[in-house]
Amino acid sequence: MAVKFFGQFLVEQGAVTSEALLHAIELQDRTNLKLGEMAVAMGYITADDIERAHTSQLSKDMKLGDLLVDLGILTPSQLQEVIDRQKATHLYIGEALVKVGALTPEKLESYLAAFKVDQAPYVADRIELPEWLANQHLWETTVDMSYKMITRVLGIQFRPGKCQEVSRLSTNHMVAAMDLSGDAAARYLLSVSAGLQKTIAKAILKEDNVDQEPPEVLEDTVMEFVNIVCGNVVAKASQSGLSLEINPPITIHPALNGLPVPDCYRALLFPIHVSDDQVMELALFIKQ
Amino acid sequence: MKKVLVVDDSLSVARQLERIINESGDLVCVGHAKNGAEAIKMNHSEDPDIICMDMNMPGMDGLTALRSLVVLDKTVKVVMVTSLGGVGDKFTEAIKLGAKNVISKPFEPDNVLNILRSL
Repeated sequence: MAVKFFGQFLVEQGAVTSEALLHAIELQDRTNLKLGEMAVAMGYITADDIERAHTSQLSKDMKLGDLLVDLGILTPSQLQEVIDRQKATHLYIGEALVKVGALTPEKLESYLAAFKVDQAPYVADRIELPEWLANQHLWETTVDMSYKMITRVLGIQFRPGKCQEVSRLSTNHMVAAMDLSGDAAARYLLSVSAGLQKTIAKAILKEDNVDQEPPEVLEDTVMEFVNIVCGNVVAKASQSGLSLEINPPITIHPALNGLPVPDCYRALLFPIHVSDDQVMELALFIKQ
Repeated sequence: MKKVLVVDDSLSVARQLERIINESGDLVCVGHAKNGAEAIKMNHSEDPDIICMDMNMPGMDGLTALRSLVVLDKTVKVVMVTSLGGVGDKFTEAIKLGAKNVISKPFEPDNVLNILRSL
């Protein structure tokens, strides 16, 4: 029911043991050269050049390849050649498992097909976003994953509203928030009314009635839902080569005049229309 | 009956896991720790066979606790339960540190039981 890494799917299915998977990962580690290592192997740069670029990385927030070009160590076409060679020689986890004898090529094919079916629900649909936004694919995935989880995990039917930029999030019963950091920085926020908080609690706790539950349990269920969405977004982003970290979720009770967007952030609001009296809003405070 | 310790800062996840475990008939939940440090203490006091542990917790996180647990107790089997299970690097790190498996959130009760029973 979640976004998975192929190796994890195989262990879960009992196709390979975690020990065999570990052997295959070790083979991948030995085979798949990092960008700098590949550039050295192709004779374009030396180990000293990598050291120089790493030192420079301390003051410049750039990826190694871009930095090597910026420093004049690699030309843009050499960088492209290195990236192409990395892709062409990359040993995938399935191939590594065949090489260590944990899977036959035929079994690999059939498990790859089953994996595709398992992960099909998480192929992203198109979401319209403003042009100024960087990392469009990541935020599109984030909003799309939220919609899919609201339907599948919470069982809530809704109509998504049009994305709008805002300077303040309107007040509501509670907001669950989670910070994302790494290759992109943002705060993910889900604002819910009291009625929808109970709907979420029923779905997460798998209870028909949550009227007797203490407020901290009800709040925790919304935070847990946010944790599930953001964790799966990080998993999906990692498949596109983006590295993100998440912090544990928090609860915010906005003031009557709402929640202001902090300096250095721009905020996108995605209204989620459930019913006239129940309000749910997804917001992304994206660091500029 | 195999004894299971649940480690998660989320009250709702702990409740779900406790229920799945206690309704299984062959597993019993012996406690709930809210972070890695509590897990290490409760592993000593409750002596579980299996620990189901979240990765992302305030205070001592799950991977830090896993590093200590595998050194302190050679017999306990640790399964990570996390929304980050689909992140290849996190999954690999957990397995390399000695976790027996990683369960992704949202989880299905049958999947949790299959994994716990296979240990």
